Amino acid sequence: MKIIVNRQSCDGNGVCMGIAPEVFDVDDDLYLHVAEPIPEDGEIRARVRQAVTSCPILALKLVEG
Amino acid sequence: MAFEGIRRIVVAGGSLAGYSAVSELLAADYAGELLWVTGEKQGSYSKPALSKEFIQGKSEYSELFLPEIPDARGNLRVLRDARLSALDAAARTVQLEDGRSVEFDGLVICTGAVARMPAITRGMAGVLGLRTLEDAQAIKAELVGKPRIAILGGGLIGCELAASMRSFGLEITLIEGAPTLLGRTFGAVLGEYVLDMHQRNGVNVMTGATIEELVARDGRVAAARLSDRSVIETDLVLVGAGSVPATGWLEGSGLKLADGVVCDATLASSHAGIYAAGDVARWHNPFYDTQMRVEHWTSASAQGRAAARNLLRSFPGATEAPVPFADIPYFWSDQYGLKLQMVGRHDGHDRVEMHETADRALPLLTFHKQDQLVAAAGVNASRAVMRYRKQIEDDAKSRQRVAEPC
Ligand SMILES: Cc1cc2nc3c(=O)[nH]c(=O)nc-3n(C[C@H](O)[C@H](O)[C@H](O)COP(=O)(O)OP(=O)(O)OC[C@H]3O[C@@H](n4cnc5c(N)ncnc54)[C@H](O)[C@@H]3O)c2cc1C
Ligand code: SF4
Repeated sequence: MKIIVNRQSCDGNGVCMGIAPEVFDVDDDLYLHVAEPIPEDGEIRARVRQAVTSCPILALKLVEG
Repeated sequence: MAFEGIRRIVVAGGSLAGYSAVSELLAADYAGELLWVTGEKQGSYSKPALSKEFIQGKSEYSELFLPEIPDARGNLRVLRDARLSALDAAARTVQLEDGRSVEFDGLVICTGAVARMPAITRGMAGVLGLRTLEDAQAIKAELVGKPRIAILGGGLIGCELAASMRSFGLEITLIEGAPTLLGRTFGAVLGEYVLDMHQRNGVNVMTGATIEELVARDGRVAAARLSDRSVIETDLVLVGAGSVPATGWLEGSGLKLADGVVCDATLASSHAGIYAAGDVARWHNPFYDTQMRVEHWTSASAQGRAAARNLLRSFPGATEAPVPFADIPYFWSDQYGLKLQMVGRHDGHDRVEMHETADRALPLLTFHKQDQLVAAAGVNASRAVMRYRKQIEDDAKSRQRVAEPC
């Protein structure tokens, strides 16, 4: 599982971080950091998927595998 | 999953809630027809960007649109520039504006809201509201003449428009009836902060004032007379007076309405097979154990998906039952390069706590009610605000578990 961030559109609002803080972290400059590799944990992965579809500007893309 | 006898689902509304419902239905294994009546001339687009990047000229027209939804099975039929004019909830039919009638087995209502235009602002040239892309284009077209602008209403739209217009150096008067700006959304403390921010950036803010009358000259607005009898000369009036749910087409449908479509915790309306999502839906939020209607971008997306999923789960033959939609509302606003954020609901709070931030000039606060954290707000503090969101959600979940009889 890999996450691709569209840096042009991501505005650092941190919705993804609110849902899966283990993987997403927005710093004080509103820059999004993604912790990879993404943990195997099924519950975390489910929240990562939810985070991807919850991004208000659809700045996240998920590549499974 | 085979949905025996389910031939057609209609999704009404082509903004984020409708877009999300359609995405979810196409991703699920629903194989019947999906008719999407969007009411939009083109595709679905980002509304939050209208008062920010688009008006400021920072994002192009083409960048506003959400990506096309993949339709692998080819069961999606999109009716653009078409609107629904009526619903018969018991007979499960909708009527298109051109008079055609369409039967359905499932309906997701995502018709959102429309800008509220007070009576004095209607029907005068040079007076514009902002809700759609067309509205934003109309406002942009007015800016070339470098007008003096009076903005009616210091809520989200009024404040964002003021901030965006100041980036062009235009002369702005912002008129708000309350003592602060955005106070209803962000609470009194941040309301003061926002008021100060606009004043520092050169907006002429008039709080505690309302527009009594608009005066036209040569068929176009020329001045606004305020409640304190002062008169503001102006070339353009922008109205940010809130919005009202777009339920006009549902009058007489049999559906239960009360400032929106009344829904239970699963986003189901008063009638089987009919769900609602987004700005139009007033639903029972289990986290707060109360009915609410939320006009936020992220809720529209989450509700659109949840309503679509629950609709499928309500059909005979579904293997799972509909699930309550519980949400901690989240809202942001961009002004003067700062990001203001709010999570939760602060109404009824009895205590506000201020917190230290890396940049001391930027506020971060939490709202408490009977020692429970109910909301948090901050400026350029995504990380902290989102941690609070998680905390509010975890607290709400543990309260629910306690409340549930085992
Ligand atoms: C300028 C602006 C800035 C905003 N900024 C923010 C922000 O920064 N943060 C935030 O959280 N929220 C913001 N919002 C609010 C957010 O955009 C809304 O919550 C969101 O758009 C709601 O989506 P929706 O799909 O429920 O409804 P809407 O966006 O209102 O869309 C309704 C859709 O229904 C269609 N429709 C209406 N009637 C009919 C009919 N009879 N038949 C068929 N179709 C119909 C319309 O064509 C439209 O496609 C902003 C809103 C505006 C207007
Ligand atoms: S939710 Fe989207 S825009 Fe917000 S920080 Fe995450 S990726 Fe960026």
